[in-house]
Amino acid sequence: MHNFSAIEIRDKFLKGEISAVSIVESFLNRIATYDKEIGSFLEVFNERALKKAKELDAKLGKGEKLGKLAGITIAIKDNIHVKGEITTCASKFLTNYKAPFDSTAVKLLELEDAIIIGKTNLDEFAMGSSTENSALQVTKNPWDLKCVPGGSSGGSAAAVAARLCSISLGSDTGGSVRQPAAFCGIVGFKPTYGRISRYGLVAYGSSLDQIGPLATNARDAALVMEVLGTHCDKDSTSLPLGSDDYLNQMNSIKGLRIGVPQDFLKNLSEEPKKIFYEALETLKSLGCTIVDIDLNILKYSIATYYILATAEASTNLARFDGVRYGVRSAKAKTLNEVYDLSKEEGYGKEVKRRILLGTYVLSSGYAHAYYKKAQKVRTLIVECYKKAFEMCDLIATPVSPFAAFEIGSIKDPIQMYLEDIYTIPINLAGLPAISIPDGFSKSGKPMGLQLIGPQKGDVRVLAAAYAFEQAKPEFTAIPKL
Amino acid sequence: MSIYDDWETVIGLEIHTELNTKSKLFSSAPNRFGDEPNTNISEVCTGQPGALPVLNKEAVKKAVQFGCAIDATIAKFSKFDRKSYFYPDSPRNFQITQFEQPIVLGGTIIAEVNGKEQSFAVNRVHLEDDAGMLKHFKAFAGVDYNRAGVPLIEIVSEPCMHTAEEAIAYALAVKAILQYLDVSDCNMEEGSLRVDANISVRLKGETGLRNKIEIKNMNSFTNMGMAIQSEIKRQIHEYMNHPNKPINEVIKQATYRFDPELGQTVLMRSKEQADDYRYFPEPDLVPIILTDAYINEIRSQLPELPLQRERRYVNDLGLPPHNAFVLTLDKKLADYFEEALKVCPHARNLCNWIIVEFAGRFKDTGKSLLTSNIPNLHIAKLVNMIEKGTITGKIGKTVADEMVANPTKDPEEIVKENPDFTPVSDLAEIGALVDKVLAENPQSIIDFKAGRDKAFGFLVGQVMKLSRGKASPKIVNDLINKKIQ
Amino acid sequence: MANLDKETIKNLTKLCRIDCSEEEQLNLLQDLKKILDYIDQLDEVDTETVEPCYHVLDNVSNVTREDIVGETMPREVFLALAPSHAGGLIKVPPVMK
Repeated sequence: MHNFSAIEIRDKFLKGEISAVSIVESFLNRIATYDKEIGSFLEVFNERALKKAKELDAKLGKGEKLGKLAGITIAIKDNIHVKGEITTCASKFLTNYKAPFDSTAVKLLELEDAIIIGKTNLDEFAMGSSTENSALQVTKNPWDLKCVPGGSSGGSAAAVAARLCSISLGSDTGGSVRQPAAFCGIVGFKPTYGRISRYGLVAYGSSLDQIGPLATNARDAALVMEVLGTHCDKDSTSLPLGSDDYLNQMNSIKGLRIGVPQDFLKNLSEEPKKIFYEALETLKSLGCTIVDIDLNILKYSIATYYILATAEASTNLARFDGVRYGVRSAKAKTLNEVYDLSKEEGYGKEVKRRILLGTYVLSSGYAHAYYKKAQKVRTLIVECYKKAFEMCDLIATPVSPFAAFEIGSIKDPIQMYLEDIYTIPINLAGLPAISIPDGFSKSGKPMGLQLIGPQKGDVRVLAAAYAFEQAKPEFTAIPKL
Repeated sequence: MSIYDDWETVIGLEIHTELNTKSKLFSSAPNRFGDEPNTNISEVCTGQPGALPVLNKEAVKKAVQFGCAIDATIAKFSKFDRKSYFYPDSPRNFQITQFEQPIVLGGTIIAEVNGKEQSFAVNRVHLEDDAGMLKHFKAFAGVDYNRAGVPLIEIVSEPCMHTAEEAIAYALAVKAILQYLDVSDCNMEEGSLRVDANISVRLKGETGLRNKIEIKNMNSFTNMGMAIQSEIKRQIHEYMNHPNKPINEVIKQATYRFDPELGQTVLMRSKEQADDYRYFPEPDLVPIILTDAYINEIRSQLPELPLQRERRYVNDLGLPPHNAFVLTLDKKLADYFEEALKVCPHARNLCNWIIVEFAGRFKDTGKSLLTSNIPNLHIAKLVNMIEKGTITGKIGKTVADEMVANPTKDPEEIVKENPDFTPVSDLAEIGALVDKVLAENPQSIIDFKAGRDKAFGFLVGQVMKLSRGKASPKIVNDLINKKIQ
Repeated sequence: MANLDKETIKNLTKLCRIDCSEEEQLNLLQDLKKILDYIDQLDEVDTETVEPCYHVLDNVSNVTREDIVGETMPREVFLALAPSHAGGLIKVPPVMK
């Protein structure tokens, strides 16, 4: 079962070859067998998923029309609401928070008859690049259990990589869908900013966040985009566009110009460099031309990101004060203690770090030098990409300077931040980007190629990913568990 | 000469007005007052994680209407900002407001102060969402989020008022405009109109501004007047009692509230440093861009405004400006008057009876003419009777007393029930009285014929006295005139 | 250049209402100093004539909704999420008036 793509499973189900219940049982079995080691799920919806499966089987039996995602098991990152289920954001603070409403994304999935199979682990409040910041459990990379799965959507990536479900949803603010996809050898797509509704996604960096699908192949990701990529009137930053037909536009990429920021990549170490340039050769073989582009302003993107994202986050997280929901400190006797202790006991180190930084860069006397400055540099980054896209149709870079690292091996926060150097700028510019497996390190760990499109160029990015994937089917692999 | 004469006051007012939209500013929960706590809420206005704001277009319209009504500049580009502070009544611990680029800039309020028209400058008007309500009990505090997210416009004046009278006149004029536009319930008791005052004093001739004190929780215009007066005195006394202290340490920025029982302002919290609200642009909302077409349409569809109505009353009805101001300050009262006008064409008299005679009778009773249920038609009838001569003005006052005591009673009924009220119009009867007076006052006849008009009035008065006020003044006048010739 | 010291960290924790032990504050001070040092490189960028980026998408404005009452959150659901409530109100320790 787990060897099939989501689309294949759906088609088999619709043809009556396999029942929805058997699909779900098969995946639940895999979760029960392998997830103890991997730790990708925070919660598995055994009953809920089986209930939905039975409903789908009944519907099919009656000859009723079924949705585009019928029979497809989908895991949801635990910072995206499923109504009536707990949303923890991997924080001690929200371990009792039952989501009072559905996120638009989950609503749309269920309308198309997807089977929501559980909630996956993440870095606390999506702040991190390894899932090590989860306050609740450790997630391991299915390719090497000593290593991180990447972050912050590590649980979602590990679950799909280990084939514990067909598809998962993650969220991407600085690379949190693409980087774990690369570390886990699967496809991870971040749409154009505003393409998927953020309603029901617990906000981290509001002007940067996007929900994105993780899948074993590009067409599955494209299918999810068909369902999720549409206007939402509850999200003011949602693009005023209806949904797109992705699957019928996975056209040949012959003749496309692929921009490569050679200078920006010059510090890449040998192994990732080799794999990246081999990937470029593959693109060439598909009829693309490689063009050198200047993206040097991007060296300031990490600094820019950490000012803007933490500033927004510091205010987004202010609502977690123990007054209206969440865990209130039992020790709190005064109002001040309610505020201070609930957070002191509720938040992990990285979250505290970022909130303090965000508060600092907005504080009077410094806001001008930091926040306002970062906003201006962001404009330069947006313009830089615009200019580059005058000379090329897609941009290619590696996803990460290296493959998955060992759990606990990176302690320096700045070193951790620097890992995201290739993914962060994309969020600053609101561009669509995908991570597709393009090779393995010497130690057998997957690496990813990142393809980036101009704003609203989501279809072409997925088409290019599909073309690459078809040319290099050996990179779509399942880890030995 | 008082010790206060060397000092002058600088006052600025910030008026927060709840807009009377059906739903809240960024949430589609109902915007209603007085319901059970936490029943008019949604995910957005209770700050649930994952919820997002979406702007209510009617709130934008009302803000623009107000801006047009005060001849302000409507910003073609405005946006929202986050204002961070922690308090239990704030669902997100940040308010969404307009700090950098508000929707309305500048503007003028024209008000009547001590009988003269005065112009006051507005600095800006912006949209923001209201906080919930904190209810204080002994052992805990309870929060009701019904009010959280209600749309507010904050109207910020320039620091251009110098007395409590000016401040009250300005606030009343603002309230009238809001009322005429029907953009708010403007109810100070319910909290849909809240006025904060910023007050500082300085020696006459000084140019800079000294530290100011903010006064909140003034829940009536009367209290506002008292609060401002008491605060002015307090500040002056502070400066005078500490002549050697550096000026910026005598009065340090702080927030006071008015205590109606003490009749003075009381310290709420001092502001050791200015609050750091860490304003930055709201990333979940997009800018508001308004076109000339949109703005002009709103401007052209504005209803008659208080000042326009006042001008109309002065120019078309001949009302004295002061009376016109008083009448138009409350739209309901002016509407009441205008309806009565349909059956009683005597505008000046009608106005006087409404704003002086009847208003005076309700002073300090906790009621007003409008809440008394006295139909405007009855006042119209009363004035008509007086103008016709059916009753004298003096009797009219007695009838009015009766109407106040029995609000639904028709004045014509009252007069019918009291034949005494109707002045005697029997020519023979009055004629006899006139003859008597003329006979007893030959000197006055001579004086009048010599050109002293006052003598005539004296004669009329004597006849009225003899008749115990019951003679018809008109008939008395006519008869005396006839008989003197 | 960041003027970060123990006092600043203390004030920051007060501003964002996160209680931290002395030791934690010291660690945070070190971390923040490092991060701000790194961030200072933005000073190299000439942004004299650059407009700040308010929205990453072009031409977005005037997203509004009609003034219609929509779905409300039932009070029981809201209160069920609260750590403490009484009489339909969210309960917090007494607040200084």
